[in-house]
Amino acid sequence: MWSVAGGRERVAMSENRGILALIVINKAGGLIYNRTFGDGLNQLNTNDYLVLAGTFHGVHAITTRLSPLKQQQAASITADGIPSRPDPPSGLEVLESENFRLQCFNTLTGTKFLLFTDNLQANVDVAMRKVYDLYADYVTKNPFYQLEMPIRCDTFDRKLNSYIREINNAR
Amino acid sequence: MPVQVYSLYIFDRHTECIYSKQWFQPAAPAPSALPSTASDQHRPANGTDPAITAVEQPPPAKPRRNKGGDDAKLIFGTVFSLRNMVRKLGGDDDAFISFRTAQYKLHYYETPTNLRFALLTEPGALSMRNVLHQIYINLWVEYVVKNPLSPVEHKGGEGVRNEMFELGLDKFIRGLM
Repeated sequence: MWSVAGGRERVAMSENRGILALIVINKAGGLIYNRTFGDGLNQLNTNDYLVLAGTFHGVHAITTRLSPLKQQQAASITADGIPSRPDPPSGLEVLESENFRLQCFNTLTGTKFLLFTDNLQANVDVAMRKVYDLYADYVTKNPFYQLEMPIRCDTFDRKLNSYIREINNAR
Repeated sequence: MPVQVYSLYIFDRHTECIYSKQWFQPAAPAPSALPSTASDQHRPANGTDPAITAVEQPPPAKPRRNKGGDDAKLIFGTVFSLRNMVRKLGGDDDAFISFRTAQYKLHYYETPTNLRFALLTEPGALSMRNVLHQIYINLWVEYVVKNPLSPVEHKGGEGVRNEMFELGLDKFIRGLM
């Protein structure tokens, strides 16, 4: 009896904490997946999410060009004739606001994973890595999934849900 | 803790950049000095043929664009979009604070009158919100708003580029570095 009440309280507490939402944007800036895990963020309609994905895609591209140090980046002199190309400038990686924190992971193929968490969530990198693993395993290996198209894979949904719930309940 | 500050931009409520200042001027590295040191330190010895490598030439430097003006516009567009995105997701009382890339971190502060401050620092910097707030209170209000000769609207930076503000700002920022 006591433990049940405690457990329920803990679930209620974790509603607004931890990982709040996941958005996946394809390399063209289209929204291919979005899911919320709690009510820490405003609920938007599908159209707003599409606009948000497109906006973020554009902003991300701009932020790669704003680096004040790009003069040094451009000075990639060939070492022994082999072009030693520096890492391309990364775009936005972490955004902080008063109410939430947004972590962006840009894969080498240009797919962006946006993970919205509360401001105190630790180890978002690990969670992001795991989400990417789940994507690789249950989305891209799904023979019926077409790349760059909206993700509709039940297994991915289930695995993602259970993983996020595990993280959010652990706090 | 010293922090490397790159630049500061101030935008008025008409979205115009009314002040910008750079503290970091990257020195162009001497082209002759780089190849030898780079090859000594970074490249593993994998037996590349010197005959092939001698032919390769570094690409000519691209012409520079009008960096200052373009950057101010790009930064305004970025913070404006992100601010709207944050308010849409986090509610109207939410405020965009900062974002970070691998190369730099941008700190943002907006007053209720829609005066916007954007500060670019090194990526490892802690929150500089209080710094921007201090710039607003101790420099902007004191030397620009309270200046009887300063216009209400600062078209083209008029009234902002006064000696007291510039000196105070430079001293304050250099105190952080």
